[in-house]
Amino acid sequence: MVDLSVKICGVELKNPVIPASGTFGFGREFAEIYDISCLGAVATKGLTLEERLGNPVPRIAESRGVILNAVGLQNPGVEHFIREDLEWLKARTRVIANVAGKTLSDYEAICARLDGLVDLIELNISCPNVKCGGMAFGIRPESVKEVTRIAKSALKKTPLIVKLSPNVESIARNAAAAEEGGADCLSLINTLTGMAIDVETRRPVLFNNTGGVSGAGLKPIALRMVYEASRAVSLPVIGMGGICRGVDAVEFLMAGASAVQVGTRNFADALACPKILEELRAWCDSHGIRKVSELTGTLRPNGG
Amino acid sequence: MREITATVLENKPIARGVYSLTFACGTEIKARPGQFAMIGVRGFPLRRPLAICKSEGERFTVCYRVKGEGTGCLAADYKIGEKLSVLLPLGNGFYAGENEKKIALVGGGAGIFPLISAIREYSPDREVYAYMGFRSREDLCMEYELRRAKSLTIATDDGSEGFCGTAVEAFAKDLKEVAPDVVFACGPTPMLRALKAKAGGKIPIYVSLEERMGCGIGACLVCVCNKTDGKHARVCKDGPVFEIGDVSL
Repeated sequence: MVDLSVKICGVELKNPVIPASGTFGFGREFAEIYDISCLGAVATKGLTLEERLGNPVPRIAESRGVILNAVGLQNPGVEHFIREDLEWLKARTRVIANVAGKTLSDYEAICARLDGLVDLIELNISCPNVKCGGMAFGIRPESVKEVTRIAKSALKKTPLIVKLSPNVESIARNAAAAEEGGADCLSLINTLTGMAIDVETRRPVLFNNTGGVSGAGLKPIALRMVYEASRAVSLPVIGMGGICRGVDAVEFLMAGASAVQVGTRNFADALACPKILEELRAWCDSHGIRKVSELTGTLRPNGG
Repeated sequence: MREITATVLENKPIARGVYSLTFACGTEIKARPGQFAMIGVRGFPLRRPLAICKSEGERFTVCYRVKGEGTGCLAADYKIGEKLSVLLPLGNGFYAGENEKKIALVGGGAGIFPLISAIREYSPDREVYAYMGFRSREDLCMEYELRRAKSLTIATDDGSEGFCGTAVEAFAKDLKEVAPDVVFACGPTPMLRALKAKAGGKIPIYVSLEERMGCGIGACLVCVCNKTDGKHARVCKDGPVFEIGDVSL
């Protein structure tokens, strides 16, 4: 029987399967369907210092093999999360608090607030940076490094994951920039920016016009980026993008990930995470893998 | 709330572009009128939220209009015996208080489907007055179920069947005489607005809203509606049924 436990920045997860931020709330709704203590961790809905109402609807659209979303970070604010949900979630599994902000000082303040309260912090740097003319913090390597440095400076206890945007020139360069800024771990990929159009109304389906593309159709891109990023740094990497089955998770581990996140698949199958976990276990057992962490980065590239 | 692999028992057209899908869950599941199910279609990353028309032990019936590729596949590919990924029952549903003996139902288009479950629930021991609107006679469906109501008024936009006009107009004509204790409604937003204008504030009105959904259980915050207090509510979890005065239409 395979040992599924993994260690990320000194934090032991009982297994490497984690529902991705934004698809799982704070875990309460899925806990009505299954016991979420089977999960390695939960990445929370993106938190901001103050409550946010998010974008007008429609916030979701479907395209072939993928979905698009533009929720706009609706969340009740970090204080509400700490008061209402944190203890409940901590009693069940490891907590990865996904955090976002409009300014560098927002990131600094929210990290300082959550330091020591959660197991890991995941920095969402895909939000527009007001000072950078609306361009996301996560696009230019210099700003990736800067926002990472500021966030890290606020953290004394909790390790920092930087969640990389795929909408960039070089994922390897941005991965290295996060490492230089002091990141303890990387997670990728966040959504790719896209559009869906209703030809009858000649309007984009999403009120926001554009949105983040995610789902099974993204898996090859995500795998390539996890592969490139993990080779560019000496940090642990959490891989995600289109994982639907246990064998998809195996691919991400081989490409260089130490753990995986499952997002969009939770919508097609509420039991996606436990099923992927069981499939991963079965795959390891049938392939003689004794410790799942042995799979990480074992890809054998051609010509290498 | 259960994640189920159901088996298709029947999937057939019942009106122009409208299908009725009956499936067996393999286990008895209780649903309230007005609750819905998320129905998966192979190859499509999002499930379709469909109102539950009938629930009888392990058997459920939902109805849907073929609108795009997903519902097209659902109609074409899901024959008897096919496996179907289903999450149900979801949302809050309609509740009539014990003293609410006279219930008026106002539905338009696909909005009649959740109201069928209310007819089935309340017709045996309450007075149910149903006002159901269709574009035309070719769109009329589920008449057998609708006839379970004490009184049924069918309205068509073109007058090809029953009352010529909308379900709200037919309801408004009877409002004084029938004097319902509570109203349940579902239909296009302009219909719900018209209903609010005619009867809002006079009697309790509960409306079932529709919105594009992600998870269907309240986790992803995709399907919000605006409340009159400036906040958002999740259509899938806090609704889909809301008191008409609580939501901005």
